[in-house]
Amino acid sequence: MSSTPVPPDGDAAADGSTTDPVAEPVTIQGHWDFGYTYFAGASASRFFNELRLNQRIMGTHCPTCDRVLVPARGFCDACYVEIDEWREVGTEGTLDSFTILTTSFPGLPEPPTVVGYVTLDGASTALLNAVHGIDLHDFDEAGALLLTQPRVRVVFSDKCEGRITDFAFELVAADA
Amino acid sequence: MPRTGHGLAVAGVGQTPYRRRHEGSTPELVGQAVREALADAGLTARDVDIVVGGFAPDGLAGENCPDKRFLPAACAIGRWSMRINTGGTTGIAAAYAAMDLLEAGRGDVAVVVGVERMAQANSVPAVFNSIFDPIYERDTGLSTISMGALRATRMMARWGYAREVWAQVAERNFDNASRNPLAQIRTPYGAEDVLRSRMIAWPVTQLDACPVSEGVCAVVIVRSERFEGSGRPLAHVRGRASVSDTYNMGDRVHRPIGNLEDMITLSRSAERAYAQAGISDARQAQVVEIHAPFTHAETMAYGPLRLCDAPDGPDLVRSGFGRWGTETVINPSGGPQAANPVGATALIRLAECAQQVMGSAGERQVPGARVAVATGQGGANQFSTCTVLSA
Repeated sequence: MSSTPVPPDGDAAADGSTTDPVAEPVTIQGHWDFGYTYFAGASASRFFNELRLNQRIMGTHCPTCDRVLVPARGFCDACYVEIDEWREVGTEGTLDSFTILTTSFPGLPEPPTVVGYVTLDGASTALLNAVHGIDLHDFDEAGALLLTQPRVRVVFSDKCEGRITDFAFELVAADA
Repeated sequence: MPRTGHGLAVAGVGQTPYRRRHEGSTPELVGQAVREALADAGLTARDVDIVVGGFAPDGLAGENCPDKRFLPAACAIGRWSMRINTGGTTGIAAAYAAMDLLEAGRGDVAVVVGVERMAQANSVPAVFNSIFDPIYERDTGLSTISMGALRATRMMARWGYAREVWAQVAERNFDNASRNPLAQIRTPYGAEDVLRSRMIAWPVTQLDACPVSEGVCAVVIVRSERFEGSGRPLAHVRGRASVSDTYNMGDRVHRPIGNLEDMITLSRSAERAYAQAGISDARQAQVVEIHAPFTHAETMAYGPLRLCDAPDGPDLVRSGFGRWGTETVINPSGGPQAANPVGATALIRLAECAQQVMGSAGERQVPGARVAVATGQGGANQFSTCTVLSA
């Protein structure tokens, strides 16, 4: 049986008590644990290799709408054209949106932690990643600070392996 | 109201109760809802020409390619049939596919069914993480709740929404759900309960978010000329439109038209559906069923549905607009906050609107409901639909 606690509201299975043994509901345990290998593709491969080898954050420029897409994409889906013009963007930017993850779920980051969309200087689009170093003892207070859309900077991990998790953001003002 | 296309109407609805878990097998639940819908329409399996089924991510139910098993239970044997999946909009996308087939002349009667068995998953959030881009985003731990919360904080910064405003939205939805025997959550939680409930992804609490829900919704859609003069109630489809957007949420943050929280796909769907139906805004409807799995998502739809200008959303909530007993009731069913079976939920919005204008909504019937608006929202908030029904 699942170890997930069942809320009191609306569980038909919990309501359906029966005294007839041949009507007893039968459950069968199942498991999906297939392995997969995802090819990142040409543009994301170059984006990740630039992270790993040069600690640079790269975008691609769309000549039609003049946006610099970060993280890099091989096509602009708004203009529906292929793009292959590479631009390095800044390692500082603005936290445009965030959430504080406050509840633990299997397979997801251990709370409390912050993720947010950051527009790096020189980019036209925002990039999702973890935001470290926020005082989270009071979620409403932390939220009020982050709602001011503060400046953040990129912090690379000690060992970059070519994943989006090679870097995170932290507040620029943390040093001030 | 003008009619579009060949004249389509919802003729019958069948719904299992929505519960956290159901003991029945998927085909058993599908058969139960479809038989009820056919009986409600005064039809039998022999009358059915088309069967379209909606089932959202296979991984949620742990049933891979479930169409093989559930379509036959929906009366598909010997008939034109397909399965649709567009995440949250799955159920209404299935209905639109059926309507398109009816308009194309493939038949006169279609069965549409939306199915959800997500409680079969031992960890729903982990499965929801797997629906995101595995290259750039999945490693960040993104799930549907954090995806929603990333918009909620922008609404706070831009339009002055606060957790207290959204708690009032939840209170109204739970009050409405107390009149709906099909609803999963029938406890009339108040705004204080919502604010005190467990924080999941700030600012979204457990009671701001939809529950894990299972159930099946079935709808019978017909070419209405075949039923003219039959004396049976019909919910006529007066307008419908569907619009899609980019997957990339970060690309929408600085978009001058269609910012991340603007729901431009819903604006454009509503504009087109309203024009077909000859209405100018959702205040001309007596019932609005908004497909929003979170309180903030419901308020994000107010501007696009032309209930108010987007910056006036917090004031609209504070005014009590949309409550039971007012001229336009939002979510008389309780909405997705009271039950959100993913593969069915957008079809439930249509089914509830149909029953309201047919006068068969029971205890949750809005007196005098003639016009109803149903929305659907899916993907990374990138697929929208808007349907206008009338008696």
